[in-house]
Amino acid sequence: MRPILLAGHERALTQIKLVPPPFLPFPQEGTVNFVGWYNREGDLLFSTAKDQHICAWFAHNGERLGTYQGHQGAIWTVDVDPTSTIIASGSADNTIRLWEIKTGKLLKTWDFPTAVKRVEFNEDGTRLLGVTEKRMGHLGTIVVLDIKLDVNAEQSDEKVMTIVCDESKATVAGWSYLSKYIIAGHEDGSVSQYDGKTGDLYYNFPAHELNQQITDLQWNQDRTYFITASKDKTAKLISAKDLEVMKTYPADTPLNSATITPKKDFVILGGGQAAMDVTTTSARQGKFEARFYHKIFEDEIGRVRGHFGPLNTVAADPTGKGYASGGEDGYVRVHQFDKGYFDFVYEVERERQNRLAAQGH
Amino acid sequence: EDAERISSADVAVVEARRRLLNEWYDWLEQMEEELAEEREALGLPADPVAALLEQKMAEVAPDGEEQVIE
Repeated sequence: MRPILLAGHERALTQIKLVPPPFLPFPQEGTVNFVGWYNREGDLLFSTAKDQHICAWFAHNGERLGTYQGHQGAIWTVDVDPTSTIIASGSADNTIRLWEIKTGKLLKTWDFPTAVKRVEFNEDGTRLLGVTEKRMGHLGTIVVLDIKLDVNAEQSDEKVMTIVCDESKATVAGWSYLSKYIIAGHEDGSVSQYDGKTGDLYYNFPAHELNQQITDLQWNQDRTYFITASKDKTAKLISAKDLEVMKTYPADTPLNSATITPKKDFVILGGGQAAMDVTTTSARQGKFEARFYHKIFEDEIGRVRGHFGPLNTVAADPTGKGYASGGEDGYVRVHQFDKGYFDFVYEVERERQNRLAAQGH
Repeated sequence: EDAERISSADVAVVEARRRLLNEWYDWLEQMEEELAEEREALGLPADPVAALLEQKMAEVAPDGEEQVIE
């Protein structure tokens, strides 16, 4: 199927989130920014870019629901709470903001001394972490905020916890299963495991090549393992419990993003070198393609082209139906998987499926 | 002879994949079991998101009837 092209940003994309549609029918009053909200068919897609608004879209038809206006700088990151009620965003204007999805209303602003590069809700939406930038007398930190998943509630000003990254600043971070750990990826290529409640550092190890920045960290559905992308041209599948590197996916270009597909055992990687960093003149110089790998066998199984610049972010649809990519070119491309994708299995996978079927699973 | 060599190489590849597949699913199963036990021990619902959605639905439609939207 042809991808849907979303042209709602004027600048490079920074992050994409695909979520199931809100499960509740919304009342009509107050929904000034949005149209077609009663359609519960499609997933929602949220995108942020270096321009100053967050976009919300219907993933199945590319219709734009609306924008969230208020940030005064590039927006680096967005996340959606597990009930699709609230989004959080982090920006170069040194704030984290909370927004009501259905009305576009700004619910809360937290100020920080530096830019916010990543935000993520924990599994039950009670906490939000933010990764703050290192700059002039400020070390990089991971801050934790208490969240009330109620658009009418007053959100607390207080930070519950601050983890200071004095070795190497964190570039990305997220919450494991049970919010037991905070896992961070660092500028120096290492990965850290912190206690989710106390912030104590349990373990730090060089998952990627030294000083090759970790650019992305995304979870599987129950948050027991995650994938990291790095400028060292690899992505790695790592267990949250003991930080064991279980799989490595080698690419031929620096990576900006990696995501795990539900339903099928694949991972999708995105990257590419910016034109100004490319010294060769080959036709594929930038390699602006989404790369599919088999999650278990680590083989590359396919590529999807389309962007005119590096892929800055890739996100798998949580229902397994498709994926989206966001490029330095300012476009979001939404792909629905076709039959061939679902039919593709290795012989040994078919064997296993047959065996399970025979056992009545 | 060539054909034999090729087919034994194929067999080795398939064997290796079978091993990888089994290792992966063994790990996954063990991890899922561990997680389920931990959730139970903490008195948490098996699926955190499903539980949240149920709770939210109950607030909106306390009588449990689903609203039909045309």
